Amino acid sequence: MQLKPKAPRPTPANARRRLIAASCALLGAAARSQQANVAPADSGLLEDWSVDSALAYYHEDGRILAIEPVVNLAKVFADGQSLNFNGTFDSLSGSSPNGALTSHTAQTFASPSGKAKHAYTTAPGQLPVDPNYQDTRIAVGGNWTLPFTRVDQLSVGAKVSDEHDFFSVTVNASIAHDFNEKNTTLSFGISNEFDSLSPIGGAPVPGSDYALSQKNAGKTKDGVGALIGVTQVMTRNWLTEFNVSVDRFKGYLNDPYKITSIIDSAGNTTGYEFESRPDQRTRKSAYWENRVGWNQQLSTALSLRYMTDDWGVRSDTAQLHLRWTLSNRDRYIEPTLRWYRQTAADFYTPFILSATVPTTGFESSDSRLGAFHALTYGLKYAQKLPGLGSRAESEFSVRAEYYQQTFNERIATPAALQGLDLYPGLKAILVQVGWRF
Amino acid sequence: MKSKHLSFLFLVCSAAIASGCTSLGVKPWQRDVLAREEMQLGADPVDAAIDDHMYFSKEASSGGRSFAGGGCGCN
Repeated sequence: MQLKPKAPRPTPANARRRLIAASCALLGAAARSQQANVAPADSGLLEDWSVDSALAYYHEDGRILAIEPVVNLAKVFADGQSLNFNGTFDSLSGSSPNGALTSHTAQTFASPSGKAKHAYTTAPGQLPVDPNYQDTRIAVGGNWTLPFTRVDQLSVGAKVSDEHDFFSVTVNASIAHDFNEKNTTLSFGISNEFDSLSPIGGAPVPGSDYALSQKNAGKTKDGVGALIGVTQVMTRNWLTEFNVSVDRFKGYLNDPYKITSIIDSAGNTTGYEFESRPDQRTRKSAYWENRVGWNQQLSTALSLRYMTDDWGVRSDTAQLHLRWTLSNRDRYIEPTLRWYRQTAADFYTPFILSATVPTTGFESSDSRLGAFHALTYGLKYAQKLPGLGSRAESEFSVRAEYYQQTFNERIATPAALQGLDLYPGLKAILVQVGWRF
Repeated sequence: MKSKHLSFLFLVCSAAIASGCTSLGVKPWQRDVLAREEMQLGADPVDAAIDDHMYFSKEASSGGRSFAGGGCGCN
C-alpha cells in the first residue's frame, strides 16, 4: 500500500514562503496584465495610447474671454519607456487693462499698432482697458522617459509655443533615482527657455514717454531653471513630495502693452510712460505636496508653495483637492480650494507722481506685480464610462472654478482721486469638460 | 537671506527624509492605496496645465511642482 505523503505542517516559515509565492504569482499576473495592455503593432490609431483631453472656457468679468482645447497623449512601452505629447490651442479676445489709472475724466489711448481706427476712449470712472485685445496661441510639447537601470530614469522634453507676437522654445531634462525599495525618489532637473517677442507696433523703450511712442524691433528673453525634488512614501496611504527650484530670466521682461499714468499733485493725469522693469529676475521656490488616502472613498492632495524673487515679490500658495469617490469607484466629486497671496514688486506703483523722481528707475503699474490675495473655489465631477475598443474604461468630467483677486496694499492717493476704484481686482470663471480614454 | 532660508529648509527636510527613509515606506504588496489613480503625483495633468496657465497669466508666481517657465507671452 502506498501512503500519500503527509502534508507539511504549517509553520511560520512555510506560511511566509507561501505568502511570497502568492505575491510573486500576483505580481506576475499583474505584469502579464500590463503587457497585455500594450497593444499589438497592428492595432488602430491611438489604440495603445491613453488620451486625456479637455475643452476649457475662461471668462474674466468685463475683460478677457479664452477658449482652450487641450490634448495629452501618453504611452507606456513594455520596457518601461514612456512617451508623452501634448497640444494646446488658445483663443483669446476681449478687453485687457493697459495699466493706466482710472480717472474722473475721459482718457483716449492709441492702440499698440498705432492705427487710428483702433484708438479707444475710456469713460470717466472706468478702468482703462484695450477693447481690441485678440490673440491665439498654439503650443505643442513632448516628453520621453527612459529607465536606464532598475532604479534610475532619464527624462527629456521640449515645448514650442507660438503666438503672433511671441514665440517660445523650452527644453528640459531630468534624472531620477529610486532607493529604499522604491519608497524614496530623488530627482534633479534643468530647463532652458528661449523667448522671442515681436510686439504689435514694436517693443517700447522702457520708461519712455507714451506720447512719443519710442519703439524698437523685436526683443528676446531667456531663462534657465533647476529643480531638486524628493518623493517619499510615508505610509501605506501617504505620499509626500518636496521640491526646491530656482530660475533666472534675462532680457526684455517688460509687458510691451502696459503703461503707467503720470499724475500731478491734484490727481490730474498729465501723461503716461511705458513700464520699465529690470532686465533680469531670479525666482526661488519651495513646494511641498501631500497625498493621503483616508479610506476607500476619501483622499486629499494638499500642496504648499513659498516663492520669493529679487524683484521683491514673495508669495504663499495653499491648495487642497478633496476627492470623494462614489459607488463602485465609477464616479467621483472633487472640491478644490486654493488660497494665494503675494507682496508687491519693489517697483510696483499704480501711478507716478510727476513731482517724484523714481529712485530705482524702474516702475510698473501692472496689477499682477501688486500686492493681492486670491481665492479659487472649484468643483469637479467625473464619471467612468465603458471603454472604447480594447480599453477597459473611459472617463468624462466637468469642472468649474471661480477665481477672485483682491488687492491688499493701497497707496495714499491725492484727494482728487478719492471715490475712484483704483484697485478693481479680478473675478473670473473657468468651466471645463474633459474626456479621458 | 531668503535663499539661505530655502537652502536650509531643503537641507533639513532632505536630511530628515534621508535619515528616516529606512524606517519609512511600505513593502511592494502594501501599495494598494498608493496605486490608486488619485494618489499619483500629477494625477490630472490636463487640469493642472489649464490651472497653471491661468495662474501664470494672472499672478507673479509660477512653478514649484515643476519648472516655472510659462512659454506664454501673457506675462
